[in-house]
Amino acid sequence: MNRDEAKSILLLYRSSADAADPQMAEALALAKQDPELARWLEHYAAGQEQVRSQFRAIQPPPALKEQIISEHAARSKAKTRRDRVVSLAAIAAIIVAFVFMGHFWSNQPKYETVSNSLENYQVRMVSIANAGYAMDFTSGDLAQIQSYLSQQKAPADYALPGPLQKATATGCAVQDWDGKKVSMICFATGKPLPVGQPGDLWLFVADRSSIQQATTASTPQFRQVGTIITATWSQGDKVYFLGTAGDESTIRQYL
Amino acid sequence: MAEGVSFDDLVARYYAPLYQFAFSLTRDESEACDLTQQTFCVWAAKGHQLRDATKVKTWLFTTLHREFLGSRRRQSRFPHVELESATADLPVIAPAGVNRLDATQLRDAMTHLDEIYRAPIALFYLQDYSYNEIAEILGVPLGTVKSRLTRGLSRLYQLLADQPKS
Repeated sequence: MNRDEAKSILLLYRSSADAADPQMAEALALAKQDPELARWLEHYAAGQEQVRSQFRAIQPPPALKEQIISEHAARSKAKTRRDRVVSLAAIAAIIVAFVFMGHFWSNQPKYETVSNSLENYQVRMVSIANAGYAMDFTSGDLAQIQSYLSQQKAPADYALPGPLQKATATGCAVQDWDGKKVSMICFATGKPLPVGQPGDLWLFVADRSSIQQATTASTPQFRQVGTIITATWSQGDKVYFLGTAGDESTIRQYL
Repeated sequence: MAEGVSFDDLVARYYAPLYQFAFSLTRDESEACDLTQQTFCVWAAKGHQLRDATKVKTWLFTTLHREFLGSRRRQSRFPHVELESATADLPVIAPAGVNRLDATQLRDAMTHLDEIYRAPIALFYLQDYSYNEIAEILGVPLGTVKSRLTRGLSRLYQLLADQPKS
């Protein structure tokens, strides 16, 4: 390291803390051996001190501190007010949403919330008929079918409408509805049966107590469930549900 | 954030050194006041994100420097100059030293000093920050800080030496 290189490095020298740098230490060591470099460093250090003191003599305006603090306080106050308004608006929006939702749900038809309602029962029985089912007992004899259902402790003390008594029975099965047994009596209308289908006209008989809000009307109520036309009526303590593919006129011929 | 340090205490502790730094950068009292105030505004909004309480001072100086650079960009008075290309043209001249110096002389010299040297030189003299801390505040590598300081100090002393004696 020569003198000029040492001067370049010593430009950054401020105190003994900077001497830890190896290059700085080497330049300082050289200054100890070189009187001219030592004089330069002494002169430079004195100049450094003057520059430093002038930098540190810079004084902020007297009111700056108070100005910063007071403007911050004013902004905080405004922000608090704004936050409060936003919070109140949010709370109001939530209340309105709850009121709206409460109003919406209270206006929904009650049957939507009743799992063993008549509508659900009708949909469930139609889906059993459509999805394919296995007959528990195959017979064309309605008396035997009734006897079988009685043995299975399924609803058996039913009375079939006159036209239905003349239909061709094919058998029966016992279905489950909400833990209660439902008698399913199957008939063939005479049309070609789909493959695997043991019937295309079905009568479901259930105890009225097993269906919430079951009809009490003795005259059939018609409802289309998908492609199946259904008729529902009540007699005694039983609910009858008859279904077949077609329209109202199709099913009326069995009632 | 620096838990337990109130905004008022923070301002009382750091507004003067921050102002000195801002004034060294801008050489304008009103602009230095704005920069100092803006720095505390940023602290009020984002200071809670700072986890290490020992870094408050460095955080404030870093923020002030960023605000200064941002204001310069907005004013389009400070065209971006790549450091290495700018410094490459400057000769490193070891200064002879300063005999007598007053505030006006220093201010005039700083006015003529290239903008990229002002921040490291101000931090070098004002706060006795280590070179690593200066690098952190300015967001540049350590080597760049040393390079800027060497060339900046050389230039500053040259400007001071060239001034007519008062």
